[in-house]
Amino acid sequence: MTTDLDALLAGVDGERMAGTVTALADARFAGRRAGSPGGGAARQWLGDQIRGFGAQPIVDSFGVRAVPEVYAAPEVTWSDGFDTRRLVFGRQTAVHLASADQPAARRGPLAVAGAGNPVGRWLLVPAGMSLFDAYGHADGALGLLIGRPVDADGWHFTMLAGPDPGPLPVLTLDPDTHAAMLAAAPTRGTWLAGSTPIRRVDVTAANLQGRWHTAAGSGADLLLTAHYDGVGDHPGLRQPAASDNGSGVAVIVEAARLLGPALPDGAGFAVALLDAEEIGALGSAHHAAHLRRTGASPLVINVDGAGRLHEAAAVEAGGPAHRLLALLDQAGRHTGLALAAGPVASDNRRYAAAGFAAVGIGAGMGGYHSPADTPDRVDPATLVAVCRLVVATAWLAATIPATLPSLIGD
Amino acid sequence: MSDTETRGGFTGDPGAALTVTGTSGCCGNPPQATIALPEPATTAPSPCCGTQADATAEGSCCASAAKSDAVAAGQGCCG
Repeated sequence: MTTDLDALLAGVDGERMAGTVTALADARFAGRRAGSPGGGAARQWLGDQIRGFGAQPIVDSFGVRAVPEVYAAPEVTWSDGFDTRRLVFGRQTAVHLASADQPAARRGPLAVAGAGNPVGRWLLVPAGMSLFDAYGHADGALGLLIGRPVDADGWHFTMLAGPDPGPLPVLTLDPDTHAAMLAAAPTRGTWLAGSTPIRRVDVTAANLQGRWHTAAGSGADLLLTAHYDGVGDHPGLRQPAASDNGSGVAVIVEAARLLGPALPDGAGFAVALLDAEEIGALGSAHHAAHLRRTGASPLVINVDGAGRLHEAAAVEAGGPAHRLLALLDQAGRHTGLALAAGPVASDNRRYAAAGFAAVGIGAGMGGYHSPADTPDRVDPATLVAVCRLVVATAWLAATIPATLPSLIGD
Repeated sequence: MSDTETRGGFTGDPGAALTVTGTSGCCGNPPQATIALPEPATTAPSPCCGTQADATAEGSCCASAAKSDAVAAGQGCCG
């Protein structure tokens, strides 16, 4: 049987997976935000892939309320009293999730929160002051300016899961800009003009599922998952979501291509490509609830990030996952992929919370929630390594009875 | 391939994967999911997600109390 597994593993195609990542990162899918036309187009494309690999794609829709959407690039200009500078959206400034919607730029003097009269001013929130405390100093202010770290490429991260909108416009600033404004704020004549065009939209998201085999008898019921949604493009700012999580989807789709025709009778095998992970893992919550109602008890393997393996892939497990972890360990040893316990805060947690054996696998991201998450940063060797791990784990789960020792001798 | 010729698999007890705590991100994988070896599992809660046990108890991927506290404290991970 080891020979069978090795033959299967030899079929793992890195170029095919890299092609899937590139396709999902394409501009036509616009970053694949849940409920967006781009997300729907990506789902349709993935459905065609599933159909081509021998399963009937099933779309399972659900509603999502209040998804944050930056509907225009914020216009932000400031002056230190001498020079006027326009800030670059995505690099020097972004709209905070807690921001109120302010479509048109409002101009006012700069001041520091907690120091002086806030009325009619943009308030810089000093390091160490919480947003909650800043609100307490901001009665009558035009808005708040919060310093925020940027990534190694100088981009702000985009998050969709976070606080509800508050009473004021809130802009985030990169650390250098924030420091420059703090230094200039005591000077007379400093000002900022800024808009915060952000709204909440109610959308319909949808998971995409495919089943190749139905479990019979004591056969394992395998469920491979990955979220296909991203945080979405901003106006004028592409966010391709290649590593997060085009890479995970590519792995799962490739594993399905290989495992669909190869798994033995009796073993159940299905794939769920999940939506709305970036909004709080809502797609997996919806799917897990459905599985509970149907009495299913799948072994869940979720991949979130297969873009840049360093020394080991992170594995987080939940639910009754001891056997699944043992199989994963066997598969890791067989394929040569080192594994280490580490956080994978993704859809696997929803399945685990529903009582299912679930593992999440994360093998790094070349970019994260920013324009830097491009296909060229996804390492094909990482795709191959993670796919081999997933295929081997699934194959072992389907072929090794739970009560017998390993058949591959490890 | 002989399994004894590889250095794959868990570097420690696979069961440690069952006690991993939350991340620095809210219901999203962290930017640096790949970890160096050895990386022992920590039992400390994360600022945004709390412990996995808390999140599981709430049927969520993050503990809401930890998340609320993080938001109130202006932690960047929650927006």
